[in-house]
Amino acid sequence: MNIAKPKVLIVDDEQDFLETIVKRLLKRQVDATGVDSGREAVRILQEQSFDVVILDVRMPGMDGIETLMEIKKRSPLTEVIMLTGHGSIQLGVKGMQLGAFDYVIKPAEFDELLEKVNQAAERKMLHEERVRKS
Amino acid sequence: MLNMLPTDSYRVYILVVPLSILLLAVPLWIYSGPGPGFAALVVAAFCFFVISSLVRKVVKAREQECLLDLQLIQSQKLAAVGELSAGIAHEINNPLAIIAQEVEWARHQLQAEKPDGKSLAELKDSLDEITRQVDRCREVTHGILDFARKRDPLVQSTEINKLVEDMAKLVEREVSHEGICVIRQYEKDLPPALTDPPLLRQIVLNLLNNAAYAVGQNGTISVETRMPDNGKIEIEISDTGCGIPKEDLNRIFDPFFTTKPPGKGTGLGLSLCHSIVIRLGGTIAVQSEQGKGSAFTVRLPLEYNSHKSR
Amino acid sequence: MSARPKVLIVDDEERFRTTLHKLLAVRKIDAAHVGSAKEAFSEIANNDYDVILLDVKMPEMDGIQALGRIKRENPQIEVIILTGHASVDAAIEIMKLGGYEYMLKPCAIDEVVGKIESAWERKLIRGGKTMDANS
Repeated sequence: MNIAKPKVLIVDDEQDFLETIVKRLLKRQVDATGVDSGREAVRILQEQSFDVVILDVRMPGMDGIETLMEIKKRSPLTEVIMLTGHGSIQLGVKGMQLGAFDYVIKPAEFDELLEKVNQAAERKMLHEERVRKS
Repeated sequence: MLNMLPTDSYRVYILVVPLSILLLAVPLWIYSGPGPGFAALVVAAFCFFVISSLVRKVVKAREQECLLDLQLIQSQKLAAVGELSAGIAHEINNPLAIIAQEVEWARHQLQAEKPDGKSLAELKDSLDEITRQVDRCREVTHGILDFARKRDPLVQSTEINKLVEDMAKLVEREVSHEGICVIRQYEKDLPPALTDPPLLRQIVLNLLNNAAYAVGQNGTISVETRMPDNGKIEIEISDTGCGIPKEDLNRIFDPFFTTKPPGKGTGLGLSLCHSIVIRLGGTIAVQSEQGKGSAFTVRLPLEYNSHKSR
Repeated sequence: MSARPKVLIVDDEERFRTTLHKLLAVRKIDAAHVGSAKEAFSEIANNDYDVILLDVKMPEMDGIQALGRIKRENPQIEVIILTGHASVDAAIEIMKLGGYEYMLKPCAIDEVVGKIESAWERKLIRGGKTMDANS
């Protein structure tokens, strides 16, 4: 099931990675925006709503877990995919506990990431439907 | 069998026999005279009263049963809450006790005539410890909140092997440094399952995390998927770690039960796994031998059915 | 006979024991500390203690069982149970086994010191002596 045009926010302090991902996602009909810090992510989420957030776990300043908590507080239906270069199990467990949709190890295969984005967007839609019905 | 009938059907049963006799009474009266006709009427009335009182008894018994069921569930819930509260209280009170003592000690440092380098160092140490204990409390409360969050499964088509492999890759990254290898054995052509992916990920990651802790260093974690019979999927995570002592086996899924030293782990991981598995309509079982290792098996329906799970 | 009670702290939380030891030392109470019931029995066998502060939830042997054994083998030692969670049943059990007091963590240090001193007083009275700074 593919959502027409999911709105995705990518949060990563690695500029090269960020630019590449945003570009590639845009080519694949994904409405993608990139920011380079947790703080920026929280700020932009106050102005716009996103279906999926791809979030790096280790960032200076506000780290991935803190950002995840803020995102879930402000827009609980937005699905978050955590990106980690280190594969920390503890962070994984913590993230899932806090409501992350999935965990991907960097370097991530683009197609795999895209598939997860679609799955996450689908989940958001299902969740919204359920909320609407209740 | 009558238990299955909705209330309206009861009326049908109450009326069907007497009505049929009544219907017979009319022709009887016409053909055989008032005597037999009247007798039929009496029989009809008698049947009506007997059957309706029987049905009333059945309905009442069924209502009682429902009520008892509800009471049982409620008292089980309360017992569970009571147990949980006792566990929570203990897990929070210990860190609080340490915090209280550190504060007392810090005050003592500040009362010194000439606060020197040593007292400042003690002060800093106390504050660090307070932070550690606050974090510990936070782990507990977050764990409990996660527990309490009755997330009804949101069903999506899920490739089980892929999901399990994603989690295995995550764990492998970290444990390979400790000489632990992760072996996979996935069932070929496993059909996509209808289940809740993030909830399932939580279960798998938790079990893998436990396996890694149990092994510590130099050992094996095995991940297997199987489809033993149509409609059910099995995910087994086993390790060559320290295993679980026999006497602890039946407490392993209890909230706050842990064999880790205080402060290291909330003891909520497996109980959370258990509660999620039940919500997904499945079962979780453990086999373990102290010194040899453990194997946790999760069985899930291929298609999540919200009516079949509580 | 010392002028201050000799105390043994038995608790599996290391930081709790060590800081409590420091806080008691400031109040001139000499407190040794161990992390398990097993170590406690060994300590008691080799030293004289007036009061024991005993945690309930410990690995290997729970505090209530330990209390039973301590009172059997050394009935003169007063035992104060310090626990993270309250239970009426446990409290009754403790009193029946001869525990001096049952305290729920977290407890203020002054309260702990107060209980230690009154437990010690009871020990002295039962031993036929009165609390006298010169004895």
